[in-house]
Amino acid sequence: MSNKVNRRDFLKIMGWSGVGATLAGCDLPTTVTLEEGKEEVVSYLMPEEFVIPGIGVWYASTCLQCPAGCGVHGRVREGRVLKLEGNPESPINRGRLCQMGQSGVQAHYNPDRITQPMLRKNGGLTPVSWHDALEVLAQRTGPGSGLTGERFAWFTDTISGHQAVLLDAHLKAMGSDNHYVHEVINNSVTRAVNRDMLGEEQPRLRFDKARVVLSFGADFLGTWQSPVHNATEYAKFRSPPRGVLVQVEPNMSLTGANADLWVPVRPGTEGLLALAIAKVLATKHRKPLDKLPAAVQELILGYDVNEVARITGASGDHIIKIAGWLSERSPSLVIAGATAEGHEQGYQIVAAIMLLNIILGNVGETIEPAGEFPFPQLTARTGGTRSLVDFAKALEEKRYDVVFFRGANPVYTAPKALGLAQKLEGVGFKVAFSMFQDETTALADLVLPMRSPAEDWGTHVPAYQGEDRVISVQQPLMEPLYTETRGFGDVMLSLLKMHKVAGYSDYEDYYAYLRDAFAAMPAVLKENHSDDSFWARALQKGVIPVPTTQGSLTVKTAAVEVPGDSGRGEYPYFLVPAARLGMWDGRHANIPWLQEAPDQITKVVWNSWAEMHPSTARKLGVKTGDAVRIASSQGTIEANVYVYKGIHPDVIAVPMGRGHEAYGRYAQGRGVNPLKILDPVTERKTGELALMATRVQVSRASNEKVMVKLGGSESQLGRKIVATVTADVFERTEGGA
Amino acid sequence: MSNIQQLPSRQVSNRGMEGGRRSLCRFLMPLSFPWVLLWVLALGGLVLMPGAVLAEVPNAVPPEGTYEGEHVEQPIEFPHDTHADVNKINCMYCHTYARRSPVAGIPPTSKCMGCHSIIATDKPRIKQLTEYWDKRQPPPWKKVHDVPDFVHFTHEKHLKRFVFDNEGMDVENVAEVCAFCHGEVKKMTVANKVKPLTMGFCRRCHEANDGPFDCWKCHK
Repeated sequence: MSNKVNRRDFLKIMGWSGVGATLAGCDLPTTVTLEEGKEEVVSYLMPEEFVIPGIGVWYASTCLQCPAGCGVHGRVREGRVLKLEGNPESPINRGRLCQMGQSGVQAHYNPDRITQPMLRKNGGLTPVSWHDALEVLAQRTGPGSGLTGERFAWFTDTISGHQAVLLDAHLKAMGSDNHYVHEVINNSVTRAVNRDMLGEEQPRLRFDKARVVLSFGADFLGTWQSPVHNATEYAKFRSPPRGVLVQVEPNMSLTGANADLWVPVRPGTEGLLALAIAKVLATKHRKPLDKLPAAVQELILGYDVNEVARITGASGDHIIKIAGWLSERSPSLVIAGATAEGHEQGYQIVAAIMLLNIILGNVGETIEPAGEFPFPQLTARTGGTRSLVDFAKALEEKRYDVVFFRGANPVYTAPKALGLAQKLEGVGFKVAFSMFQDETTALADLVLPMRSPAEDWGTHVPAYQGEDRVISVQQPLMEPLYTETRGFGDVMLSLLKMHKVAGYSDYEDYYAYLRDAFAAMPAVLKENHSDDSFWARALQKGVIPVPTTQGSLTVKTAAVEVPGDSGRGEYPYFLVPAARLGMWDGRHANIPWLQEAPDQITKVVWNSWAEMHPSTARKLGVKTGDAVRIASSQGTIEANVYVYKGIHPDVIAVPMGRGHEAYGRYAQGRGVNPLKILDPVTERKTGELALMATRVQVSRASNEKVMVKLGGSESQLGRKIVATVTADVFERTEGGA
Repeated sequence: MSNIQQLPSRQVSNRGMEGGRRSLCRFLMPLSFPWVLLWVLALGGLVLMPGAVLAEVPNAVPPEGTYEGEHVEQPIEFPHDTHADVNKINCMYCHTYARRSPVAGIPPTSKCMGCHSIIATDKPRIKQLTEYWDKRQPPPWKKVHDVPDFVHFTHEKHLKRFVFDNEGMDVENVAEVCAFCHGEVKKMTVANKVKPLTMGFCRRCHEANDGPFDCWKCHK
């Protein structure tokens, strides 16, 4: 008998010895059983009637992890928030919550929170009291400071609700209208196209009514508009009769991975592809083009499908197949997202894509007017990357003496070419309203520590909402962890008091202001409730339903001019900074749960990577895990390669969100930031940064870091571990209808 | 026999049944009975032991094992004996959350003051308590009994099984059930850890009492 232990025996031995070790260990007390008398167990002085120690109570609030504004329920036990789940009362997320929302507790309990105000003295930030901090604010920005409105600016992320009202009041008190709203993940170009072609920036999209969804790079399940809301609508779209999803994009997104047909295209040619589909619709399926201007009709009919296939990288068969689906299955919905928008001609590309909706008669069917929100003062101030470009320009012209930052982190998100960090040196007094020491906060002259969303009051009106519109209410789920932090609303009221603005000076804090603001809401919202009972109901439900007026969409088309093949030149590859549900635009890099959550596509954790097509990898002689240097005209980054087929051969995709130089122990020094090496090209019509327009060279670099990813092989190696059927077969056999 | 029945649990060696028998032998040896009779008695005692406890807590086999915990200095030396033994106050009168929650809870200070604003106000320990109350501060009690965070233990379920859903069990005798894991707290002033509260301790009790045995019941 041989001494060899085969795999099966080995597992048996390990199993039995494991059981033995476990059971023997059952009686070892010291290492895991806690020692007596080391911890304190403090009772309530007077118990609240509804509090039972050990049993959680759920409170409604609003998630602020991204601008979608989902409602949350927070489980609070012994005065601490322990778990966040979706609020079923909120029509935005209907009880669901994404991984970013779930990890909101780690933003709140993050060990890198700023716990006291800090003032720059002799080059370094030194702790000061709030009293001193407000004194400095009064000296530098108060009524007697000599600061004029045009020398002052606010730079924020998306802001809405009563926080926006206070911010507007502050701008008015300063005599300023410089408010920059910055979001890297945005749909500004689509909004501009919608406004021009439909008369409404943010119409309501009916995924549930559509029978085909054709998405040009809109990762609506991951990062587009309101992902959790879209996912619910998507589930309805996929229930029988099952809708068909076609995703056209340069590299696979979460939505692309769910598509029935995924079409990789060369970035910037999406408009061309849309018009080629329009041609097939007009010629093969006899869809009338008469709603379009003559010039556009001519343009569409002039395309040769084979030529378009060559330029875009999509096959002619696919173009014909997509047109066939769109023609047979009505109504359909055609949408455009970041990878279609982010080009010099982004507006034209999105407009060409929108033409498909007009040709197919989707406007009024799957694209509905959202109607007017009755409180314009509360609506979301949205923004994109144009703010970044404009702000950099203003700094170059030395237009500002004082800038207030909140939420946004432009020093991290701005491409190196904009030189924002250097230009900020020209601003005499920078104030950061911040929870964390991020790149922008690190440059500030005064840092005001903010309460976390789980400790603060607020109201929110997200930019995109579905059928039922609401004001989302945010209430503290627990007492502040750090006594020296303050709520944003509280600090805004202090600023307004400093300027002695009538109507804001009587409030002791933001809570008192909100109580008054709620009492002043019109009867239609209160539904015959007393002020107190309306307030209590709003907190209990977490949302206030708002009736909206009926709107209408008016179709207006103009000539489109889509870009074609842009050549290859010195920099042969396109760089796609990929947005992911997780790191988002980098704001979640300090959340360990999200760092360790495997990427939805590549399963990589805690680090950046560069996605590459197998043919490209062969050409460069690299394989998964090898390091490459990615160089644009603006700089270089290095990352490990992830080789797979879910990307166009001309494209290198690097996810956004990592590569922080500050931002705490979990974020700092991990991975690379692809935004840094972007060319400062802007979209011609809207002025947004063209995020997808950067060309790069790729070369092998020396392997220094190991890429950690979960899951070994991407292929089942013919073992049929997961059985699959094509959508066609499913439709025939199980899809019914 | 009656001596054996009343053997305080803390005197039983923590080496389980085997140890129990040895201490039993030592206990009976000075009476210089013949060896055979001694063995018969000893084994009989063993057989009778569970039955003997049945008189106190029906349908239950108490967990075995002891532990010699350190004395824990508390801000006030709270006399459990005066409350539970002398004055026969039910454990759940103060640890009121035990029947409704995973944790038994330390009684809120207002509950102490409910009685002690009138009773025994001149005693030094009550004066100490009143000082905390006047400062609006609960006394910073030290934790004596705890299990690691990866163990999901619930008082509620155990009380349901051994007290409320236990036929023939008198709620007045709940202290006997508490004593399974906490020892005879009513004979102590401040509580002392006298049971090991290890996984083996839990496991053997679950085995003897037909408790759930899936890993995830406790490790979830």
